[in-house]
Amino acid sequence: MRTGIRFRYSHTVGFMSLQGGRGFGNPVDLAFDRDGVMYVVSRGGSDSEEMTISKRVTKCTVDEKYLGQFSSGGTGDGQIMWPSSIAIDVDDNVYVSDEALHRISVFSKGGEFLYKWGVQGEGEGEFDRPAGLAFDRDNNLLVVDGLNNRVQRYTSEGRFLSQWGSGGGGEGELNMPWGITTDQGGNVYIADWRNDRIQKFDAEGKYLASWGTPGPGDGEFNRPSGVAVDSEDNIYIADWGNERVQVMAQDGAFIAKFRGESGLSKWADEYFTTNQDELEEREKANLEPALDLPPEDYLRQESANIEKLLWGPTTVKVDDQGRVYVVDTGRARIQIYQREP
Amino acid sequence: MSQKEKALMAHLLRRAGFGATARELEAYVVKGYEATVEELLHPEQAPPALEDEDLLKRYHVDSNNLLMMESCQTYWLYRMINTRRPLEEKMALFWHGLFATGYTKLNHPKAILNQVEMFRRRGLGSFHTLLVELSKDPAMIFWLDNKDNHKGAVNENYGRELLELFSMGVGSYTETDVRQASHAFTGWTLADVSLHAARSERDSIWPYGRLDWQFQYRADDHDDAEKVFLGHKGTFNGEDIIDVICRQPATGRFIARHLYNFFVADEPQVPAWQTVPPRDPEAIDILANAFFKNKYDIRSVMRVLFNSYFFKNAAFAKVKSPTEFVVGTARLAGGHSFPNVEDLRLASETSNMGQQLLDPPSVEGWHTGMEWVTTGSLISRVNFAADEFADATKPGVRDIISRIRDQEDHSSPERLVDACLNLMGPLDVPDDTRQDLIAHASAAGDLRFDSEETIRSSADRIVELLQVIAATREYQLA
Repeated sequence: MRTGIRFRYSHTVGFMSLQGGRGFGNPVDLAFDRDGVMYVVSRGGSDSEEMTISKRVTKCTVDEKYLGQFSSGGTGDGQIMWPSSIAIDVDDNVYVSDEALHRISVFSKGGEFLYKWGVQGEGEGEFDRPAGLAFDRDNNLLVVDGLNNRVQRYTSEGRFLSQWGSGGGGEGELNMPWGITTDQGGNVYIADWRNDRIQKFDAEGKYLASWGTPGPGDGEFNRPSGVAVDSEDNIYIADWGNERVQVMAQDGAFIAKFRGESGLSKWADEYFTTNQDELEEREKANLEPALDLPPEDYLRQESANIEKLLWGPTTVKVDDQGRVYVVDTGRARIQIYQREP
Repeated sequence: MSQKEKALMAHLLRRAGFGATARELEAYVVKGYEATVEELLHPEQAPPALEDEDLLKRYHVDSNNLLMMESCQTYWLYRMINTRRPLEEKMALFWHGLFATGYTKLNHPKAILNQVEMFRRRGLGSFHTLLVELSKDPAMIFWLDNKDNHKGAVNENYGRELLELFSMGVGSYTETDVRQASHAFTGWTLADVSLHAARSERDSIWPYGRLDWQFQYRADDHDDAEKVFLGHKGTFNGEDIIDVICRQPATGRFIARHLYNFFVADEPQVPAWQTVPPRDPEAIDILANAFFKNKYDIRSVMRVLFNSYFFKNAAFAKVKSPTEFVVGTARLAGGHSFPNVEDLRLASETSNMGQQLLDPPSVEGWHTGMEWVTTGSLISRVNFAADEFADATKPGVRDIISRIRDQEDHSSPERLVDACLNLMGPLDVPDDTRQDLIAHASAAGDLRFDSEETIRSSADRIVELLQVIAATREYQLA
C-alpha cells in the first residue's frame, strides 16, 4: 500500500429526476468544458416512451448550479437511447456515444445538434455498442467499440483514422471494454470490463501494462467500467461490480478506495425544504441499518439498502484541483472526493 | 427417438419450464424422462440461472437499481427466457401467482422482485419454511398491512389471507382462528417502517432512489398472550401458527389443487373451489398425500406430479398464460438472448395479453385458463408471435429453417406443414387445421433450396408458416 495520499469526501451533486430539469436519471458519465461546466449524461429511468424525457445531458456546476439540459430519448438526430459516454473537444463541442444506436452524436456547447456518425457493424466507421470516449492530444476522438473489442480513432469531424485491439484475454486483447482515458504523456488506459483489469497502451495502441485480477480485494477488480489518471499518473478505477472506486499507483500499489459516503446534495436539501414531513421521518430512521442479506450478490444488495454507498458506479474522473468525481449511477448523483493537500 | 418420447418431453418442458427448442428436446430425450425430472428438480446443482447477469446490468442500466416497474418486469422476463434453471423460474412464477403481491399499493417494484428472488431460493423447499419467509417478506408485510398489526390494535388482513388464500382455503377455519392468527403475527414488521410508509404513500424516489426494505421483529409490539388456534392452545408466535397450518389436511389439498391448476390442467377459478369439486380428485389426493408424507417438501410433491400418469396425460390441457406465451415464443424464436434495447417490449406484451407481472389484479392473483383468452389478448398474442418469428436470422428461426432444409424430402407442402408443427411443439392439430395449413403452404408450390433466390423465398415461406401456426388454437395451449 502506498501511503501519503489521502482523500476525504467533499460533497454530492445531483439527485434523482426522471422528468428532466435538475437532477439525473441513471447518469453514466460526465465531462467538463473549458469553463469548468459539468455535463452529465443520463441513460434514463428505463427505455419506455414515458421515460424518454429522463434521457438527457444536464449542464451544471460543481457547486450545483443548474444550467440547463439538452437531447432526449429517441432515435432521431440529436436524440439518444443508450448513451454510454460523453467527451468534450478543444472547441467545447460535446460528443455522446450511444450503445443502442451505434453512433456518436455531436452537439454544440449550447446543446444544438451538429452531426453524427456510425452505424452498426464491424468495419471502419462502424460500431457495435460504442462505449467510452476520450480525446487524445491532437483532438482526435478515441472510441471504445465495446462488442468489437477494439478502439477506434477519429478526427473530431468523424473521419476514421485508425484502430487497434482484438477480442481475448491475452496482453493487449480486450473483452467488452468500457471506459477509456488518456494521461499527460498520451498513453491510453482502458477498463477491460470482462477481463477484470485495466490495460495501458501507448498513443498508437501498443500494449504497455496491465493491472488487476478478478476479485474483491485491494488491487482486484470485478468488472471495472471506468478509469481516470491524475497529473501524477495515479490511476482511478470505477470498480463497478465491487461497488467502489479504487486508486492505485503506476506500479500497481494500492492507494485508496471509496465505497461511498454521500450526504445530501443542495438539490436534495431543497427537496426536503418543501417536504418537511418526509425529512422528519428520515431523521428518525436508521439509514445505515445492520443487514441480514444472502451472501450472493451481497455488495449490490448492500448498496440497495444503504443510501450513502455507491451503487453501480460507472465512471470516475479527476481534475487538476485534486477532486475525484464518481458517477454514482444507481443513486443518480455524483459523489465528489477531495485529495488532501 | 420416438415421436411419443419427444412429445412427452416437450410437454414436461412446457410445464416445468417455458418450452424447449428442438435441439434442447433432443438432448433431454437422450437423458431420459425421469433423469430430466430430477435435473429440473435440482436447480441448485445447475449453473447460475444466467450465464452472465452482469451483461444485463451493464446494458440495461436500469436493471441494476430496478427503480421502475417496467425495468423489473423486463429483468424477470429476460431471466425467464435465458435461465438455465427453468423450474426454479417456473416455481417463482407459480408462487407469485399464489402469494400475489402487487406494485400498485407498494410503489416499490424491486421489493416484489426481491420477493420473487425469495421464491427462487425457497420455492422447491419446505412449504413451512416458505410460509415463514413469506410472513417475513417486506413486500408482503406492506401489501397485506402487517406493518399495521400491533399488539394493542390488531390488523387482520395478513392473518386472514394467510388462511384463506395462501394455505387452507375458505371454509376450513373460523373468524376466531383469523383473529388468533393475526395476534400471533403482531410485531412482524419492517425496519424504519414509518419512513418507508411515508415514501411509499407519495411514491417518493427522492433524493436518491428507493431503499430496499428489511424485515424486523419487534418483541415489544408482539402479543404473547395465550391463543387458541384451530383447536391448539399456546402462547403462539407466527411460526407456531404456521406449524399448525401445515399440519391441516385442508392445506395439503389446497396447495395440491393450486399445483394441479398451474402445472397439470386448468381448474375453475379459486373462488369456485368451495363448491366445484376438483377436475381429478384422485390426482389431488395423490399430491396432498405426497405433501404430508414428505413433511411439506414441495420438491417431493413436484417429483410425484411430473412422474404421474395424470400429468403425462395432460398435454395441452392448459391455456398458456401471457408470460408462458411470451417467454416460450421468445425462446423458440431465439430472440432476447443478449441484452437489447427492444427487450422492454416483453413487459408491455405480457401486459397487453392480460398479465402485468409484479402487479396482479388483487391478492387472489390472476384468473387463469380460458379467462386469459379475449379477442384483444388473442390479437396481441398473434401479433407478438408474428414479430418474433419474422426475423429469419434469429437463431431459433434459423435452426428451424435449417432443419427443414436438411430433411430428406422437404419439398411438399404436407411435409413442410408437418415439419413446422413438429418443430414448434410438437403440436398435434386437428385434421381440418392441418388441411388449412397445407392449403396455405401449397399456394406457392413446393419449397426449393437450389439457388440464392429460392433459399431466400423458401425461408420467407417457412417464416410465414411459423407465424400462421402461432395463431392456431393449439399453439395457445401448454
